Amino acid sequence: MKSLLSILLLSALAWPLAAKEISLLNVSYDPTREFYAEFDTAFTKFWQAKSGDTVKISQSHGGSGKQAQSVINGLEADVVTLALAYDIDAIAQQAKLLPEDWQQRLPNESTPYTSTIVFLVRKGNPKHIQDWGDLIKEGVSVVVANPKTSGGARWAYLAAYAAALEAHNHHDAAARDYIKRLYKNVPVLDSGARGSTVTFARNAIGDVLLAWENEAHLAIQEFGSDKFDIITPPLSILAEPPVAVVDKNARRHNTTAIATEYLKYLYSDEGQTIAARNFYRPRNEAILLTYSTNFTQLKLVTLKDEFGNWANAQKTHFADGGVFDQIYQK
Amino acid sequence: MKLKPITLTALIGSHFAVSALAIDEVSTNSEQAEISALKKQIETLEHKVELLEEHQHVQAAAPANANAQVEALDQQVRILERQRENDQDAAAAAIKAQPKLSLSQNGFSFSSPNTNFVVELHGVLQLDSRSFFNDGGLNGNDGFLLRRARPILSGTVYHDFDFNFTPDFGGGTVQIFDAFVNYHYHPALQLEVGKFKAPVGLEALMADRDILFNERSLVTDLVPNRDLGAEFHGDVLDGAVSYGLGIFSGGYDYNGTTANSPSQDDKAFEGRVFFQPLKNTGIYPLKGLGFGLAGTYLANHPQTNSTTGLTPGYTTDGQQKFFSYSSGVNADGPGWRVAPQAYYFYGPLGVLGEYVISDQQVASTTKSADLWNTAWELTGSWVLTGEDGSYAGVTPLHPFSPRNGDWGAWQLVARYASLSVDSKAFTDGFASPTKSADGAQEWSVGLNWYLNRNIRADLSFSHTWFDGFSGTASPGVVPAQTENVLFSRLQLAF
Repeated sequence: MKSLLSILLLSALAWPLAAKEISLLNVSYDPTREFYAEFDTAFTKFWQAKSGDTVKISQSHGGSGKQAQSVINGLEADVVTLALAYDIDAIAQQAKLLPEDWQQRLPNESTPYTSTIVFLVRKGNPKHIQDWGDLIKEGVSVVVANPKTSGGARWAYLAAYAAALEAHNHHDAAARDYIKRLYKNVPVLDSGARGSTVTFARNAIGDVLLAWENEAHLAIQEFGSDKFDIITPPLSILAEPPVAVVDKNARRHNTTAIATEYLKYLYSDEGQTIAARNFYRPRNEAILLTYSTNFTQLKLVTLKDEFGNWANAQKTHFADGGVFDQIYQK
Repeated sequence: MKLKPITLTALIGSHFAVSALAIDEVSTNSEQAEISALKKQIETLEHKVELLEEHQHVQAAAPANANAQVEALDQQVRILERQRENDQDAAAAAIKAQPKLSLSQNGFSFSSPNTNFVVELHGVLQLDSRSFFNDGGLNGNDGFLLRRARPILSGTVYHDFDFNFTPDFGGGTVQIFDAFVNYHYHPALQLEVGKFKAPVGLEALMADRDILFNERSLVTDLVPNRDLGAEFHGDVLDGAVSYGLGIFSGGYDYNGTTANSPSQDDKAFEGRVFFQPLKNTGIYPLKGLGFGLAGTYLANHPQTNSTTGLTPGYTTDGQQKFFSYSSGVNADGPGWRVAPQAYYFYGPLGVLGEYVISDQQVASTTKSADLWNTAWELTGSWVLTGEDGSYAGVTPLHPFSPRNGDWGAWQLVARYASLSVDSKAFTDGFASPTKSADGAQEWSVGLNWYLNRNIRADLSFSHTWFDGFSGTASPGVVPAQTENVLFSRLQLAF
């Protein structure tokens, strides 16, 4: 009887000391699968060594806009790592799941890495595509996702628009005409960037894919360097994918502390190195220099300089009835 | 076929040679005509050569054009295929965006796509029979009865607000058993407001569909039933610790008839903490161990002026009153309860035990006293067919289907329980020993047949005997003889 009581007492005392298993859901955009698979493994090891707790990190990927809508509709993300700030703004404004000043909580306005838009072409570049102007030539078929649902596609659209403005002395009508001709050459609009990569690479549709820089490199790694070439245009856009803790969900799951640490770890040397290895441009200059061969130098315009902010860009170009709706005829 | 120029020249040359030999033998006019004819022939031949050459060019270019056409068609087909894939994905996404309707062993559920809004319909229907043996000639207690008939409407609004509305149409009177809203801020922090089960008795808190016998034991006589109030509750550490702490109207000891309005002005604090320390570990033999402590406190229960006294009576398994306070006796002062409780489930084995002290200051017109009533029970269960037993019932591994040789799950159950009323209740005249007993003990055995998760059939026998009764036997005087009851039940729950 005494020994039974001892077991019960020890059991009762033991439970607070036992290591916990914590679950975390990261809702991200399409082309980050490989990056976060590697990063999550690193963070899990880091956190277990630091706290003794096991973290089980689940990933959800899709078009950035669709993912944001899923979180608004109830997908209980602890953190979001989306393609553009506008999508996280939508979560803050529509669902009130995090404060509207979320971008001020982490360095670099909560964008731990950057990227840009490049061209992925068939091996040997048979259509001689070098610059944005080549995309509207007759007979050139362009693959890109739907900017209404895909963050990467919105960056690609804005990069093309910025390049057209640059080429036409910032004449907006000329830029719109260019965009109209560009999307006339787009035969399929996928909902996300990964879908458009599949369209171009697996389904062998089109002559050029407007791709995230990392996605273009991954396509070459996956399908072989004998299949495609990456063409970096002289000018593109500085894409800044942001990250944030979804406060209300994290509070409900009691994961606020670990979710914050998870995002902070993106800024650590290891996090930045993993980003660079996966062809995201790290914010850490030293690590960027180490991996400089992964990134071609080009002129990068910013969203702020060309379009003001995401609210303006969204309202003018991607909102219902905006420029994209006007120029794109299915 | 390619027409060689040398052959053509030879043909034309030979033709001219033949004409030259004949030139002296024909007239000038005819020579001219012949020359014209020859010129025409040459022109005709030249035209044919041109046509042949053009034809050769067309034939040479044909494969290249065909390749381009095939390539273009191939792209078109690929584009159409991809568009079809995208359309299928879009259709699948659209289906996900539709409200969800489900009907299963867990009931009927209708929810918005994001599950922020959910409406569920559940129900419990229990058709019982009771057969009393040697009950002193009491009429009207044998036979069939509709013990519980409860449609349960529950759900969620705005993701965090749960609700439940449960009326009961069994037993001849319609009652509202549960009517509450629960704010689900976090699993560890929830606020429930309305009418619901007080967080005290282990057996009382067990779902009606999962209780092991037709009736809860004597120990439940001393804990509150459903009550009106507000309670903070939650599960901490993934359910390793559960708690509930609330303020309630402070009802009497267990009463099958629940009130929808307060019985007195003061309020009772009621709470419970329950531990399942190894629930989430890999120590399987101890995962099903749970223990806890519950209690209630009412600082100053005022004179209720209730003609029925403190409680309508403590009842046996057969739902017969063996103890009731005399008319004019009321709660009058502080009251409290303490209820240590535990269970253990391991594979098919289950053990559940509970002890309750119910202390209440009572008063009659002439006297006042503090009464200390106690009860305890121990229940054992064993699932003969090997399924796991649990506090939340048994799920048959092979639901009843005689065509396939499956017979559901079978469970043996046994129970011992005892209730003791403070002797001062009799010595000070708060109860009459000629009408009530000062204690009761019972043992019960039974066999439960879980045909499937929704249908269950039970058969049990209960034997109860009484202490301290000094009255004479007559029909309706329950403690005058031991109670022997054979129960049966057919239950539908979903």
